[in-house]
Amino acid sequence: MPDIRPFCMPKWGIEMTEGTLADWKVAEGDAFTRGQLLCLIETAKITNEVEAEYDAVLARVLVPAGSEAQVVGTLLAVTAQAGTNAEEIDAFIAAFRPANAPVNPGATAQDNPAPATTSTPAPRPIQTNRAISPEALKLAEASGLDIEPIEGSGRNGRITLQDVQQALNAPANPVLSGALAVAAEDGKAFASPLARRIAAQHGIDLSGVIGTGPRGRISKADVLALVQQPAPAPSAAFVAVPNPPAIIPFDRMRKVVAQRLTQAKHEIPHFYLRSSARLDELLALRKTANLVLGAKASINDYLVRAAALALAQHPEVNVQVHGQTIHRFAHADIAIAVASPNGLVTPIVRLANRQTIAQIAQATSGLIDKAKAGRLSLGDMEGGTFSISNLGMFGVEEFAAIINPPQAAILAVGAAARAPYEKPDGSVGFETRLALTLSVDHRAIDGAAAAQFFSTLKGLIEAPEALFA
Amino acid sequence: MSNMMYRAAVLSTIMEEMERDPNVVVLGEDVVGGMGTEGGPEAIGGIWSTSTGLYDRFGANRVIDTPISESAIVGAAAGLALSGKRPIAELMFADFIGVSLDQIWNQIAKFRYMFGGKTRCPAVIRMAYGAGYNAAAQHSQSVHQILTGMPGLKVVMPTTPADVKGLLRTAIRDDDPVIFLEHKALYATTGEVPDDRDFMIPFGHARLSRAGGDVTIISSGLLLGMCEAVADKLAGEGIGCDVIDLRTTSPLDEETILDSVEVTGRVVVVDEAPPRCGLGADLCALVAEKAFSSLKAPPLQVTPPHTPIPFARELESAYLPSVDKIEAAVRRVLAWR
Repeated sequence: MPDIRPFCMPKWGIEMTEGTLADWKVAEGDAFTRGQLLCLIETAKITNEVEAEYDAVLARVLVPAGSEAQVVGTLLAVTAQAGTNAEEIDAFIAAFRPANAPVNPGATAQDNPAPATTSTPAPRPIQTNRAISPEALKLAEASGLDIEPIEGSGRNGRITLQDVQQALNAPANPVLSGALAVAAEDGKAFASPLARRIAAQHGIDLSGVIGTGPRGRISKADVLALVQQPAPAPSAAFVAVPNPPAIIPFDRMRKVVAQRLTQAKHEIPHFYLRSSARLDELLALRKTANLVLGAKASINDYLVRAAALALAQHPEVNVQVHGQTIHRFAHADIAIAVASPNGLVTPIVRLANRQTIAQIAQATSGLIDKAKAGRLSLGDMEGGTFSISNLGMFGVEEFAAIINPPQAAILAVGAAARAPYEKPDGSVGFETRLALTLSVDHRAIDGAAAAQFFSTLKGLIEAPEALFA
Repeated sequence: MSNMMYRAAVLSTIMEEMERDPNVVVLGEDVVGGMGTEGGPEAIGGIWSTSTGLYDRFGANRVIDTPISESAIVGAAAGLALSGKRPIAELMFADFIGVSLDQIWNQIAKFRYMFGGKTRCPAVIRMAYGAGYNAAAQHSQSVHQILTGMPGLKVVMPTTPADVKGLLRTAIRDDDPVIFLEHKALYATTGEVPDDRDFMIPFGHARLSRAGGDVTIISSGLLLGMCEAVADKLAGEGIGCDVIDLRTTSPLDEETILDSVEVTGRVVVVDEAPPRCGLGADLCALVAEKAFSSLKAPPLQVTPPHTPIPFARELESAYLPSVDKIEAAVRRVLAWR
């Protein structure tokens, strides 16, 4: 490979956009040595002497002295080793593309030797005796890579695509964890290396432990079970041990959750309405109703019914958003957020406004059982016009949920809490209040419409007889 | 071109080479078979019909019936080869390499190396291998993964009658020991074979039997036909499969494999031997090592399970790779994300 190099208009300082070649101090075809004065370049501010940075021959001058100003990066000349033939120089010039190609190619001087202005350089044919795969050759030619220094990993040094890709990539900068502590295999305990490493990190003696693995092998899980037991005798001094993370790649469900919720938070202009509803009447009614109906309806089932009725009254909230259209539904299909062993799932109670409390209770308990067993079908989760997410059982006071597209609203339910209130006679009483946060997609639903729906919902919770209508 | 069976391609190649070179001799169990019987020497024997007529043509000095002793057959072939002959030894079943393994592994594979290149051992050891005949665990095995792992041997596994012709001729004229594996279930298949008595296929050059840019399927022997059937079916769906017939597992044509995988990024290796330490694992390792950056899905193997070959017809077909299993594997690598 002949050592042909470009000599381009230099950039001296941030303000320099172009320069004028005042004079060549080496004639075309002459050899120069490192440090020798090569040419004079004028900018708007100064005239600078340019010294050669290496030994070579000034093979071809493309911009003669005294020409018009050239933009930074323009090819001014080509240097090469003595004896390089003219065809090779021509090929180099034809394939040359400035490092920072001008935004407007028209700005280059007309006598510029046509640097390619396309975004990808023209493939430069490679003549070689090296064995190389067709794909590897294609990539090397397209990227203008010199393949000679590559040590081929194929049979008899043949160059593979992977070899070319490695040559084009930046050097690797791997994150190393170095030596990790591993308890020695002591003959008393038969344990996996990972189990021994964790044991060493937590100072656990594995001798005498019988594992649950094949032939009594101690596994990671066995050691972690020991780690979670309280230490028999607290050691006097805290011993620092490495704290490496357990690396858990996203499974399919996590990928879907991550992708959909990220998209929702990015694309949907959420706004939030916060309120709380008095729950005492519903709690009292639920006891009686469950006795009478023989149902085991939870508070959440009542909330599903209440939301469904409120949505039927306010169809402008009972919508999905698809691109530039709003899909409005007459009936409410309510998704309930369920924590399954595999992650968050949202099975749907269909036509919840047409179902009685007992029917809803039956539907949700079936869906929750299926979710916990990981047996929900796509049909159980597809669609939905509204979602309810309840974290009250964990004592969460209140929270705001992310809308589950294509739905346009989600109700986040916090814990029921006893709170003081002022009675009509001015004395202080206590009541149970439920914190509610409604997340709304402003693209489809305006604040007033959402507030009216929220008010109806709150009314239904506080006067729950209507839920049996 | 002539249309002939796989077994006829074996026989006619031996016949032509014996006519061409008086040093070529044939030995094995029952290659003649009927010595001393009423019907004459050739009345019985040659159970694969790959030696019929040789004795009549070339006589007892060049067509030798041996006792039932694989170690004697291969040992004799080794001695013949060292003393200037070009023996073609036949083991009736590849499963019996076990009793002749010292002759194969420690002797013929090592002679040239241990004598500093001063000797050569141009022996061909032919053997019938493969399942699909309800021949049970000791008469159905594919042994190429054992022999391919032995430096000093060349291992050939032809799939078509034409490849039998070209590769067996190369094997006989080669100056190094060659294991020539013939699939039992292919003996009765037919194909076009060149008539040229010097037609040879060099070792280490795989055959691309189907071309397509989406998945690379690598196989040889009986299963190659199944791979082709899958490729033809998927071609109807717009899915292009490169189907590579290895022809020889040693030397291995890694260039053809890597060139294909660099385009497709997806590999399914289909092999009749069990999966552990076998050809499938070897090729998966090759692409993982040398085409890692091109892979769009993990390389998959379609092989029998890690068990002996069952005798019952239903179990044997459940054991072997099938068109359905190969298609499922191809669809799996295509669906990988």
